[in-house]
Amino acid sequence: MKKKILIFPFITFLFILIVFFYLLVIERDPSELPSVLIDKKIPTFEAESLLNKKKFISKNEFGNETTLVNFFATWCGPCRDEHVYLKRLSNEKGLKIIGVNYKDDSNKTVEWLKELGNPYSDVIVDSKGLIGIDWGVYGIPETYIVNSKGIIKYRLVGSITKKNYNAFYSKIKKSED
Amino acid sequence: MIMVPSLGNFSLWLALCFAIFQFVISCKKNNQSTLYLNRIAVNGLLLCAFLSFLSLMYSYLVSDFSVANVFQNSHTTKPLLYKIAAVWGNHEGSMLLWILVLAIFNYFIFKLYNKTNSIFISKTLETQAFVTIGFLLFTLLTSNPFERIIPVPTNGLGFNPILQDPALAIHPPLLYIGYVGFSAAFSFSVSAMSIESIEKVPWYNYMKPFVLAAWAFLTIGIAFGSIWAYYELGWGGWWFWDPVENASLMPWLLGTALIHSLVTVEKKKMLQKWVLLLAILAFLLSVIGTFLVRSGILTSVHTFALDPARGIYILVFIGILGTYSLILFATSTKKNFEKNYVSFLSREGSILINNIIMIVVCSSVFLGTIYPLIIEAFSNNKISVGEPYYNSTVIPIMIPAILVMGVGPLLSWKKIDVKKIFWKTLPSIVLTIIVITIFLWIYQSYNPLGIIGIILSCWIISNIIFTQNNIPKFSKSMVMAHLGIGLLILGITGSSVWQKEKILRMKVNDEIIIHNYNIIFKEIKEVVEKNYIALQGNFWVYNKKNNIITKLHPENRFYPVTNNSTTEASIHTNLLRDLYIVLGDGNQKDGWVVRVYYNPLVVWIWIGAFVIFLGGLFSININLKILKRLSL
Repeated sequence: MKKKILIFPFITFLFILIVFFYLLVIERDPSELPSVLIDKKIPTFEAESLLNKKKFISKNEFGNETTLVNFFATWCGPCRDEHVYLKRLSNEKGLKIIGVNYKDDSNKTVEWLKELGNPYSDVIVDSKGLIGIDWGVYGIPETYIVNSKGIIKYRLVGSITKKNYNAFYSKIKKSED
Repeated sequence: MIMVPSLGNFSLWLALCFAIFQFVISCKKNNQSTLYLNRIAVNGLLLCAFLSFLSLMYSYLVSDFSVANVFQNSHTTKPLLYKIAAVWGNHEGSMLLWILVLAIFNYFIFKLYNKTNSIFISKTLETQAFVTIGFLLFTLLTSNPFERIIPVPTNGLGFNPILQDPALAIHPPLLYIGYVGFSAAFSFSVSAMSIESIEKVPWYNYMKPFVLAAWAFLTIGIAFGSIWAYYELGWGGWWFWDPVENASLMPWLLGTALIHSLVTVEKKKMLQKWVLLLAILAFLLSVIGTFLVRSGILTSVHTFALDPARGIYILVFIGILGTYSLILFATSTKKNFEKNYVSFLSREGSILINNIIMIVVCSSVFLGTIYPLIIEAFSNNKISVGEPYYNSTVIPIMIPAILVMGVGPLLSWKKIDVKKIFWKTLPSIVLTIIVITIFLWIYQSYNPLGIIGIILSCWIISNIIFTQNNIPKFSKSMVMAHLGIGLLILGITGSSVWQKEKILRMKVNDEIIIHNYNIIFKEIKEVVEKNYIALQGNFWVYNKKNNIITKLHPENRFYPVTNNSTTEASIHTNLLRDLYIVLGDGNQKDGWVVRVYYNPLVVWIWIGAFVIFLGGLFSININLKILKRLSL
């Protein structure tokens, strides 16, 4: 009886080893955090628009086509890097991208867009980060895929890069299924 | 001198040869030539590891960017200290340091050789050689620090400025002495289980100084990591239950249990089997910790280059070590390993309680760290386990351990007289009550956790003060380490229970009041240094009577080389509290985001850790003397 207990550390060890092994072998991204908003309707909001004179009302803007919502700011380095890919998505793929200018200086943003080009159909001013809170943003950049029914299908934490661009684009195409 | 990296690479391969040589000869039947050959192997291994390490350091010092590792982690503008620290500030270089420390411990094990223990030490060296081979192969095959790049870049990519901190520069070496020190305990344990005539060898006496060294250095290593987090991360705290922190805490907890039960084995020959298991687990957890951090299986504040191939390799290696040692543990039957009868009201009883609690805490931390992984493996859901879990599991379990700790050293081995113990501890009880009353009277703070913390700390320290004269000389180091724990608890309690935090946007000449201090934002200016540009705030701190106490200069640094910014907290420390200011984002018009913390008693955490470390060092010294007497 007593001897059997002695094998217990080994069995526990083996169990943990198998879990680790499984997690290493499968494709996974430890930094990926699913949003609670996935498969839910977008949070409704009204806000000032940076480029247009009229107010931005979310009800009127979503629900016709696949739309990306990109949280960005001029003070965020990775946002600058991802800008190229946003432009590709908007120019080459013809996607509608709404930018949320998160906790930023509006004048700087206008200059920034002049310098780098504007991939956004509209830019919303979120100077206090309140829209960010509604969407559950915790760090920028973050990009959400909203399908033509106004439902959030995917959230990308961090920037769009050369590495994840294709995977991200296939997620966009899949969002309509 | 273009050959230096090649020399480093060559000596690393040579080190592998020596390690294999050591493994092979130690496996063989023991005779006089074994000792001689082992001497060659052990010294050769040490020399090669050292040479290899020096080569890499040289490449960093002269900024030899033909070495990929130097290119990725250094830059010509980097200060000298951080060029040196950069050697182990990255994955590949840190493995080289790990190997060097392994070789050093290997050498010390060899030094224990004498006529009476040759079989035992030989077996230990065999195991140690196996561990070394594993790490050497890992480094050479998956993380070679001497890989070259062509064409040679003109300058390096710098390295993460957040890692440019003196505390972090010495944190890894100390930590690795800790982790690797447990490899010696592991080897001794495996050796003790596999040798027939182990009854004659006091294996626990040999194991003890190594465990003490590992544990003491782990303590101070963790403390420096914590100091770095406190000063450099700018979050106002010193412990975040990050997976990496947990990875270092778990072996520490097991090491604590191991030291205490080793004393029991030494004195009463009890708990032998238990000690053997603890020694194995402490090392396995050290390596698993490394695996968790380096394989990219978890995300944490530590950013090492992630590579699944490395993860698989370490995992296979852990699998071999763990399977072999734990099956050996389950199957080895030796009569003298089985003596376990304990009366709870005795010294050994108190040690057993310590052991049980350390194991429970360690399991809780382990569970918290890997539970999200297990959940993900079985259900595809993602969860995260955070601070509330650890605080609500670890703290309540630790409280009885600390109560017992206060009284444990006063108990005698075997049975004790409860009445006598009561009279012995009465002065401490009285003193604790007095102190806590005074404390409540002055500060009027009735936070239950805070009061418990103060009581515990007071209990330990006063027990030590009152029993000073009764403690035999060889236990002084233990008393010192316990005193350190008392101080540590004081610091932990103060800084976590009574911390005050204020975050606000401040313009120049704005004021903020935090715990009797009035802080005025005087000015903000730009400072240009060799490798960064900083916005520096100037804050004047006044006390209640409007006397100026200090001027604090938190910085918001920008490093052009890596294109990232860090915040540099500015801290005013005294024995009672820290004032901690962080300057965040902002501009002239709207002001800057400023975070101000009032952290009571923080400095006692570091003082406590240092006292524990010193206690550990003295204890090593005493135990080495015991060992010398044994070999005579």
